[in-house]
Amino acid sequence: MRRWLREQFDRYFGSDPVRLLFALGGLFFATLVVLALLYWVVGKVVTAGLEAWGWDLVRLLLGLLGVMVVVFGNALFLVWAERKVAGHMQIRIGPKEVGPYGLLQSIADSVKLLAKEIITPRFVDRPLYLLAPLLIFVPCLVAMVVIPFDARLQVRDINVGIVMILAFSSLTVLAIFMAGWGSVNKYSLIGGVRSISQSIAYEIPMLLSILPVVMMARSLSLKEVVEAQSPYWFVLVQPVAFLIYFVCAVAETNRTPFDLPEAESELVAGYHTEYSGMRFSLFFLAEYTNIFIVCALATTFFLGGYKGPVLPGVVWFFLKTYALIFVIMWFRWTFPRVRFDQLLNFSWKFLIPLAMANLLVTGGLLKL
Amino acid sequence: MSLGEVIFVVICLVVALGALGAVLSNSLIYAVFFLLLTMGGIGGLYIYLKTPFLAMMQILIYLGAVGVLLIFAVMLAGPFWRRPKERGPFLKGVAGLGVSLLSFILFWRVLRHHPWEVGPQGEVSTSRIGRAILDRYPFAFELISLLIVASILGAIMLGVLSRQGPPKAEED
Repeated sequence: MRRWLREQFDRYFGSDPVRLLFALGGLFFATLVVLALLYWVVGKVVTAGLEAWGWDLVRLLLGLLGVMVVVFGNALFLVWAERKVAGHMQIRIGPKEVGPYGLLQSIADSVKLLAKEIITPRFVDRPLYLLAPLLIFVPCLVAMVVIPFDARLQVRDINVGIVMILAFSSLTVLAIFMAGWGSVNKYSLIGGVRSISQSIAYEIPMLLSILPVVMMARSLSLKEVVEAQSPYWFVLVQPVAFLIYFVCAVAETNRTPFDLPEAESELVAGYHTEYSGMRFSLFFLAEYTNIFIVCALATTFFLGGYKGPVLPGVVWFFLKTYALIFVIMWFRWTFPRVRFDQLLNFSWKFLIPLAMANLLVTGGLLKL
Repeated sequence: MSLGEVIFVVICLVVALGALGAVLSNSLIYAVFFLLLTMGGIGGLYIYLKTPFLAMMQILIYLGAVGVLLIFAVMLAGPFWRRPKERGPFLKGVAGLGVSLLSFILFWRVLRHHPWEVGPQGEVSTSRIGRAILDRYPFAFELISLLIVASILGAIMLGVLSRQGPPKAEED
């Protein structure tokens, strides 16, 4: 090690003491200049930010930190819960060795994933291959920013919050396709293509099932949607929309019975076949975050969000959300995977007309 | 330059970069992704102009719907022997110059000779946009939907073209 360092040093600075002096001096000045520039830029940004938004900026940064905590905590919990639920569904116990009830299992798992080697196959399409795991994470974070966890617990109440979540959630497909195409692997590519056609088919009824809620709440802000459900939850008035939304949510997150993009028995692992280590776990993390987000949205749109008696709002919110997540996990061990033509026919020939009819009836009744 | 102007310039650069990449890249998939970069950048410009609703619609429609459909079309397009015949470089150049000149003149006239009125500052609400589209500019709104007709025609053409078998000479 020391020899190697010395070789490097010699290569760059030589053994001549005068040259060495110049090199060190240059390095020192370069560092100074860079530091000064950094200081100036950061100072400018911070003062401009504080002037423009004041304490809002601090609140925003804290909120983003909180979002990261929720994302990672949720993924850790869901990995454990999935294995535990799967175990009990099959009359097994599931993980039990690491920590009480195996609770620390997912921490051990993530340490393992962190320690794994990151392999880049030689013939991948590098820019797309490297960009995909990063891009798949953007929609998750954006959606987390506008979800109201409690009446006052929300990073930003944006008045077009619903459109924002829907707009960014369509980026997930692009990232999945990037991964499938960039891997230069037929299984990945098939997974990517399947994901695209599935997403086109199920995004339409999803939007159509949210529209009646927006029409009834008369707002695109998630918080006002929750506030509009004060006498009764929207699931009582819009049961059809809720069912359509939930089916589409399962399809959009690529969960069983709609897990054709990553069907293990057909496609190895689908679009993330060629990823390893942390890159793979980013896909994993994004998938679990997406499950959380669609269930949180179902809670917000149809189940009254943070509203509920006695307990504080956050508790109600997480209770409802995790109950829905449990239902999705339950699906996985109840329904077999659908065939691809069944999947597409179900959406185009049944869900979309139904959602349209529901929208028309809702609009008519609201105008009566 | 204030912080906002810096952001504006950066977004403009991203848009220009995406447009150049879309035109110049060899791979069709890269061209699509560069085009999506441009579309996302235009969404950023809408946010800069304080119309978050339009920005989100831009992302929803152009990144989510049109982008995904473009990629889908690339996947469905037939193999290379079904490509339409390419014209020579001279014809291509003339066509490109003609189109860019025409659009340049159009933009120039609109920008210079239209009496622009500056509306009230601040965030534009969704309901105001809805009223403007359905009350004041329904004709333009309907005209834009020609885009969908064009894309449906394109999809039908692709479908018809891929139904033909490969030419006999290349089979053996």
